[in-house]
Amino acid sequence: MSARLDVGEVILAIALLAIAVLWVAVAAGMPMWEGFSPQAGFLPLIYGVALAALTLAILIARLRSAPDAGAEQGPIGKPLIVLAAIAAGVGGIELIGFATSMFLMLAFLYCVVERISVIPGLLVSAATSAALILVFRTWLGVPLPLGPWSF
Amino acid sequence: MSAFAELATGFASALTPWHLLMCFAGVFVGQLVGALPGIGPSSAIALLLPLTFGSDPTSAIIMFAGIYYGAQYGGTLTSVLVSVPGESSTVMTRIDGYQRALQGRAGAALGIAAIGSFIAGTIATLGLTLLAPPLARAALAFGPPEYFSLVMLGLLALAAVGGSLLKGLTAGFFGLLLGTIGIDQQTGVSRFHFDQVWLLDGVEFILLTVALFGVGEVLASCNMTSLQPITRVKNLLPTRDDWRASWMPILRGTGIGFFIGVLPATGATIASFIAYVAEKKLAKDPSRFGNGAIEGVAGPEASNNAAASGAMVPMLALGVPGSGTTAIILGALVMFGIRPGPELFDKNAALVWAVIASMYIGNVILLIMNLPLAGLFAQLLRVPYRWLYPPILVLCVAGVYSQSNSIEDAWMLVAFGALGWGMKRYDWPAAPMVLGLVLGPIFENSLRQSLVLSHGSASIFFTRPISLALIIFAALIVIAPACRRLYRGRAPAVA
Repeated sequence: MSARLDVGEVILAIALLAIAVLWVAVAAGMPMWEGFSPQAGFLPLIYGVALAALTLAILIARLRSAPDAGAEQGPIGKPLIVLAAIAAGVGGIELIGFATSMFLMLAFLYCVVERISVIPGLLVSAATSAALILVFRTWLGVPLPLGPWSF
Repeated sequence: MSAFAELATGFASALTPWHLLMCFAGVFVGQLVGALPGIGPSSAIALLLPLTFGSDPTSAIIMFAGIYYGAQYGGTLTSVLVSVPGESSTVMTRIDGYQRALQGRAGAALGIAAIGSFIAGTIATLGLTLLAPPLARAALAFGPPEYFSLVMLGLLALAAVGGSLLKGLTAGFFGLLLGTIGIDQQTGVSRFHFDQVWLLDGVEFILLTVALFGVGEVLASCNMTSLQPITRVKNLLPTRDDWRASWMPILRGTGIGFFIGVLPATGATIASFIAYVAEKKLAKDPSRFGNGAIEGVAGPEASNNAAASGAMVPMLALGVPGSGTTAIILGALVMFGIRPGPELFDKNAALVWAVIASMYIGNVILLIMNLPLAGLFAQLLRVPYRWLYPPILVLCVAGVYSQSNSIEDAWMLVAFGALGWGMKRYDWPAAPMVLGLVLGPIFENSLRQSLVLSHGSASIFFTRPISLALIIFAALIVIAPACRRLYRGRAPAVA
């Protein structure tokens, strides 16, 4: 098996490193110490430096060592499509209403991603959306956004 | 009042119809999520957090605790019947449990597991009843320096539970870093809001928990489509021979599990591993292990259930969670406005004792559920994951959105969900991140108060004996794995 770098984990570590650097930069402009007590910028600076050091250590370890040959991470295509479906569902909440947006997200996941027959897929999507509205809007009284057609 | 008198008042509360219902709901959901691969007790509690927000904290914590220990029972089903551990703590049960299933004796393995889990769960809850109150009383003398050291110990301990301390620490520091978003409680300075008004409230515990343990878990598991053939369950009651071979492993597993559960930085998975190894070492014929030895089921099962109750000791008495799920329960306490730590037994005695009493009741419910109804739960394993995960996702979105009717929170759910997926994919523990977010403010406040007390000198953390002891324990958690690795590196290779 050829040694292949785990790009995903490197991206994850770099993203956290970037956040750590941002934290250090912002915290450096805040008050650090007054009298006997640390101020608003002190601990965020420490956290940022520590996080940067830890992510660098992970990055170095990952770049120096061969990836774990036994690690099977599975394909990323389907999780990315599911993630995109959630993002689209969230994006639709204020445009077409909570219930419709969630129904469409469910229908997409069942009928397109999972290739479940259209009728059972749509029925389960409708039942789940209805149950959600019943619990959150009717039972818990949460004002979930309505669509242009008032549901 | 003595522990047993307090426990009696706890039973009076736990036996009220509503609390009984919540206890039943908790253990039922726990059994269910323990049995279903792809969703664990952490995810289940995360999904239920938004529904319990604003409700009675006692009933919610009773339910969450039920999910936690109920999942230990449920995880056994998949380990024995399909050789897929529903929970990491049932990995060892799989070795001999599945072999027994292949030999047509799955029923007896599940029966011994259920009875062993009941005995272990009950004895360990008794241990919790006796050990937690004096520990909490002793810890009542804690001042800001001790709280600071305790939070540090808790974070390091949880970071060390997973496979990599480095990744655990990274997750913990990232959680602490997220905890600095919003208005600083002591100085009133707004931090890291990047001119976004909605960030002034900071990152909500519910949001992060649902994202990491709900959305992240689903994204990591949605590729899972194949179904394994499920063995039929019959003859659940163990034979006299099974029972004779199992009673000592059950008692040993209980002792090992409780002791390991109480220690920070361990957990039910390590407990079940040690119990299995101990049984194999003590066996007259170790070759039976791996081929369906009933002791290989009884010991680890007793051990993981005892560890679940044992992990509640430091969580309730000190505010130090011993596992990812207890970290979320701890976060739930904070969400309800309850300060975790030694004062819990003093200021929220009614809640704590009702939860402990409910654990006795929950173990009885689980025994009833697992002996006659194991076959029924086994049928649930036939439900494909592709039917389950879409409703979980919409529940995540609805739960987070409903907290503050904020679309920004829903977007953060997507972002943290993607992060949770990445962390799960590359085996980065998510629980330290949640704990960092929850304990961050306590950590910062206790640091400031300590330094004011000492006129700015950090020596206060090392000159007070309890604080020093906690710091030494925390340092050992970090140093011990490094020393072990160094020792292994220097040890001569054995051919």
